[in-house]
Amino acid sequence: MSVERKDDHDHDAWLEEKDLTPIEHTFLATLVWLDKRLRLVDYLELLETLYYRVNLQMPKSHTEQYNLDNKFWYWYPLYSLGFFSTLAYVVAAISGALLGFYYSPSAAAGAVDIEGATVAYSTVATIMTDLNFGFFLRSLHRWAAQVMTAAVFLHMLRVYFTGAYKEPREVNWIIGIVLLSLTMVFGYTGYLLPWDQLAFWAGQIGVEMSLSIPLIGEWVAQLVFGGFSPGQPTLQRMYIFHVFLLPFVVTTVIAIHLGLVWMQGIAEPH
Amino acid sequence: MGDDERGRDVVVPDRLYKSVTVFSTLFAVVSVVLGFVALDTATNAGRAAPEDVNVAFAALGVGLIAAGGLVYAFSSRFRASGMAKDKDSGDEPSDNG
Repeated sequence: MSVERKDDHDHDAWLEEKDLTPIEHTFLATLVWLDKRLRLVDYLELLETLYYRVNLQMPKSHTEQYNLDNKFWYWYPLYSLGFFSTLAYVVAAISGALLGFYYSPSAAAGAVDIEGATVAYSTVATIMTDLNFGFFLRSLHRWAAQVMTAAVFLHMLRVYFTGAYKEPREVNWIIGIVLLSLTMVFGYTGYLLPWDQLAFWAGQIGVEMSLSIPLIGEWVAQLVFGGFSPGQPTLQRMYIFHVFLLPFVVTTVIAIHLGLVWMQGIAEPH
Repeated sequence: MGDDERGRDVVVPDRLYKSVTVFSTLFAVVSVVLGFVALDTATNAGRAAPEDVNVAFAALGVGLIAAGGLVYAFSSRFRASGMAKDKDSGDEPSDNG
């Protein structure tokens, strides 16, 4: 892949010999000039070559390897639930990144004129009441989260009742269970972020659930909630789980999950 | 622009066809977007009173949008050898792909 120009065609000579109207001639000559200056087509061709070379290195999909025409199953509504949850995840990621521009995970006293309102709560209130499209943005994030949780659960039911978890897909079933759990952790950590009464007492329940674990309960509560009652450390940890740790982990696990489906193919009902 | 020969098409070499499709699409997209930006600026996003509209800038915006569309439409007469024009191509096979 040399940067030296490929001399595959003499555009100027072609332009002279071809019977073109003056406008066509000018148009094409301009584009040829632009092409020589900017080389965009060359760069796009490099990308095209790269795309095909990378594709050659990829494992073949099940459909391709066995020359199957089983794309049919994608059109079964219940076979779309996995895609539906992925879609909800992407929507939540984009809307969440935008919410992150305005949200602040602080339990200090906030500006909203409500007794005990924190900065975290105030920023959420600001998003809902003052920010253009803020109410929409937060609602979109919340609904995407609800839809993802519901879709992931129904997806699990579909996989179970069609027997799609059976050999050779055991590993992907287990990865799916992990993803389902991580989705709920995602939901829980996000639920705590507004730091209103619901969030605070949900945090209290979380602390007590951690404490109920034999032997390591106190250690888990310290690690995950930063103490034995909800406070600034809890809010800050939930924030980092929600916007930093979980996104990396869940995105990676989703990629593996989808990669295995791609290689093993969709299981047809037994 | 060759109104007497509607649907004129010009067969160009493959490499030149790539230049045509890349640069004319790029130009069309950029000028239409800039045209809307100019139109928005001239009319304060449609909220300006009629006498406050910057007519020259509004005309520039409409002109840019038209120019984008024109270039895009004009570029559609060029095709690489082996490419069929849609209206001339035969029926698609009905074997569900």
